[in-house]
Amino acid sequence: MRRAGKPMAMLLVLAGAACALALLRLCIDRPPGGALSLAWPEPAFAVFRWKAVAVAAIVGSSLAVSGVLLQALLRNPLASPFVLGVSSGAGLGVMFGMYVGWRVASTSVTQAESTTRSSLAVFASSTFSALIGGIAVLSIVFGLGRRRGVLDPLSLVLIGVVISAMCGAGMMVLELLVPNRLRGDLLMWLMGRIDQGIDGGALMIAVTIGAMGIAVAGLMGRAMDASTFDDDEARSIGLNLPKARLLMFVTAGGLAAMTVAVAGPIAFVGLIAPHAARLLVGPRHSLLVFAAALAGAAILIAADAASAAIELHAGRIPVGVFTALIGGPAFIWLLKTGRGQS
Amino acid sequence: MKLVIEQLRIQYGSIIAIDDISCAASRGKVTVVVGPNAVGKSTLLRACIGAVRPATGRVVLEGRAVHEWRAAALASRLAYVPQQSTVAGGFTVREVVELGRYALPPDRSHIDRAMGTMEVRELAERSFNHLSHGQQQRVTLARALAQSSDDGILILDEPMSGMDLDHMLRSMRLLRRLAEGGATILLAVHDLDAAAHFADDAWLLQGGRLALAGPAREVLKPGRLTETFGVRFDEVVTGSGELHLVPVFDP
Repeated sequence: MRRAGKPMAMLLVLAGAACALALLRLCIDRPPGGALSLAWPEPAFAVFRWKAVAVAAIVGSSLAVSGVLLQALLRNPLASPFVLGVSSGAGLGVMFGMYVGWRVASTSVTQAESTTRSSLAVFASSTFSALIGGIAVLSIVFGLGRRRGVLDPLSLVLIGVVISAMCGAGMMVLELLVPNRLRGDLLMWLMGRIDQGIDGGALMIAVTIGAMGIAVAGLMGRAMDASTFDDDEARSIGLNLPKARLLMFVTAGGLAAMTVAVAGPIAFVGLIAPHAARLLVGPRHSLLVFAAALAGAAILIAADAASAAIELHAGRIPVGVFTALIGGPAFIWLLKTGRGQS
Repeated sequence: MKLVIEQLRIQYGSIIAIDDISCAASRGKVTVVVGPNAVGKSTLLRACIGAVRPATGRVVLEGRAVHEWRAAALASRLAYVPQQSTVAGGFTVREVVELGRYALPPDRSHIDRAMGTMEVRELAERSFNHLSHGQQQRVTLARALAQSSDDGILILDEPMSGMDLDHMLRSMRLLRRLAEGGATILLAVHDLDAAAHFADDAWLLQGGRLALAGPAREVLKPGRLTETFGVRFDEVVTGSGELHLVPVFDP
């Protein structure tokens, strides 16, 4: 694979690009029905835009690092939380949690009690349900994606697609079961959205989970390099494969689940960002993890900036639409050029 | 270091891959494992690196079964070259060789020497996955050399497959030199004549069992090989007076 230049310089370029895009997002101003302009926001609006930038950065970087981990874990360059169905599993978990929460609230507690339930508690329970859903799907894909005991890249992707479709069906059923007033919110969440009104405590939890996951992935860089060999060879050079795999598995699932709880299932960032980063800094994971995190943050901030700049009469376009529009062709390109072969 | 196999039996479900094998690979010797396809050569070597858990028996290194060793501790004593190395991602040749020292302290001179020995320095910046099979085998051997110490154990599963004749002979000579320097070499090969020339000891496998083990010149005899492989073998003397094993192709 041709590399663009010196890895550290490329890392700085990525960091610069992410900062520039964040600045652009902060300055984009388009009131409903108004014209697009660029200006430093007034303090009353600035806090929302900073939150949007922070959410996009942490969700984008976490998705990207989850993708790096899954690609190393499964030795499959086509692996990503979305392609393998982890996002859908986490999404189903969140929706199931929301549905149960609504049922409980509508049957066993008073209206007053249900409104006192803080958004932080809602976020914490969403993250937990997302984690259970995401890890469950990852376990199924990991367990079934083998041929003669060996992980098969194509089987993994196909099983991921099937499980993803099944989770999608489950989400549609749950969508029908909730009342109309919740359905609109769920639909927006399902398309992937950056919530600039996120609760401060929820944002802190998301940042903590994201930072911890990225740090763990960074520390596992050499182990991920070693795990790119087949099992026998990886073990023979001294890698404790079961331990490394478990850590990659849990970290990837945890990061993906957090992103789904925060922003819904966002497609392809976990696939494009690792590949873009790999082209810039090469395959060594101790650097790749951080480069992918920066690339993922930049991609999602850019998508959110586009979402803020483009006005449709029906409202803002969810970021998930932009990432799917860029990521879909990128996925096909990876397949057609052979870069999707392990 | 000596690798001792004690009454080893390996089973995959109801299929017995290895049945009651006992033998030892000694320090300073090249030991070859030979036999027809699917007799358990690769399984035996995988058991020797601790990748397969035996149904009964064990492979012992320094008094302990290899599958009980910590991976990092075993890596400092034993290196392995598979039949075909697969490396996901776009790692360069140098990066692959450097990974040989994953569990060991970094040692640039050791890595450079290994790359020089296997003549892969000129390939250093090329992607491993874009090399021919023979070149990949040389890189994998260099990776194993970067990992192993002078008195370590090197286990190789058909390491010369895909190599051109020149590199195959050089690799054989290299393994010979390493053994003379104190290493323990255990390898599976298909080329019986080369095995007879370069190996000290040979293990002949048949149907998952050890049919014969001993000095290579005694094990690799035409009569025994004909019986095992179902192909007639002959010994011929070349013009330079060397004895060679050749299969006889009956019309």
